Amino acid sequence: MRALIAAGIGLAVALALVLTISSMEAPPGKTSPKPLLTTVPKHP
Amino acid sequence: MRRKASLILLAFAVFFAALSPLLRFYAFPRLAKVPANQYQVMVLEAKGATIMDASMQVKKTDLSIVQTLRGNVEESEKIEESAGRDVVVWDGLSYAQDSDGKMVTRIPERYIFDAHSSEPVHATGEMADAKPVKREGLEFKWPFLTEKRDYEYFDARSRTTNPILYKGEQNFRGVDVYYFEQTIPWQKVDYPSTLPVPNMNPKTLEKQTGTEMWYTTVRKFWVEPTTGAPVYGEEIHKEEMRGGSLTEAAGGKMTVFDGHVKMREDFIKSTVDLVKSQRVLVLLMTSYLPWGFLILGVLLLALSLWLEARSRRPGDDPESTDDREPEPAPAGV
Repeated sequence: MRALIAAGIGLAVALALVLTISSMEAPPGKTSPKPLLTTVPKHP
Repeated sequence: MRRKASLILLAFAVFFAALSPLLRFYAFPRLAKVPANQYQVMVLEAKGATIMDASMQVKKTDLSIVQTLRGNVEESEKIEESAGRDVVVWDGLSYAQDSDGKMVTRIPERYIFDAHSSEPVHATGEMADAKPVKREGLEFKWPFLTEKRDYEYFDARSRTTNPILYKGEQNFRGVDVYYFEQTIPWQKVDYPSTLPVPNMNPKTLEKQTGTEMWYTTVRKFWVEPTTGAPVYGEEIHKEEMRGGSLTEAAGGKMTVFDGHVKMREDFIKSTVDLVKSQRVLVLLMTSYLPWGFLILGVLLLALSLWLEARSRRPGDDPESTDDREPEPAPAGV
């Protein structure tokens, strides 16, 4: 019984962690102010 | 004591063993996505290409093509509200100029796609060379964990979708890649929306002159399969004007463009470096961490079972019996 409880705790924490990480949204940021180029850049 | 330790180890063993598939099959598909605010410049070259210049003369030149992709965050947020999924909007411009710096073509695009799967998303504003389109298939980028199979790829010049064939594995500058090739057979296409020739209206040119624009290309991509990012690309591109009054003097056919377009060396290097660094991040979620957690889980389980077995051995460690039921006191004591 104790073994089952221990396994259950491990599983529950793993599920909680993955669900939390997966629901986190990285901020989308802003559109770059740099232009669409019409000149050839000298380097990347 | 040993019994408690074995239970704690068992909990950790289950935690890591469960984390392994959850990370790979649940978290990764949700976390891996193309950022909405990406800005990327690529320079391609066609040395000794044949082009038709502004005076409608055919000449040889070293052509440079600047391809800019800019993630439009505001538009992607608007489309996400109605689409209900993560969307990326790329505003792109392919600008070609000859060795004198004169414009040859200028092709704007808006490509809207799913941030996770790279599949196209249809919304107002989607266009190729200023004409609304409804793309099917990929463009620019393959999905994460690209498979060894043919894909559908959108060709912006003809505005058609055709298969791009998987041709095998290769090693490109130290990166294992999948090689894909697409052939667009000769076909009639629209004139580009912007022409280098002054006083020519691309919308009415064919009607006025009877001259048609024809095009073919062979497109080659070397794609890093973990990220789905092409590390190198080439295109053998040909365009001709056929028939009508514009080509009478040239015997009914004029080359507008004929060249082998390749990525410029310094951009190849920067792309390879970028893809290599991104590849590690994806591998961390798809391979390194899931396998590491699984192995750790198995090891912890083995240790837990070993401790449990030792705790049950009679007389082995009297301290280990502290969490067992107390022995009943002998009668009469």
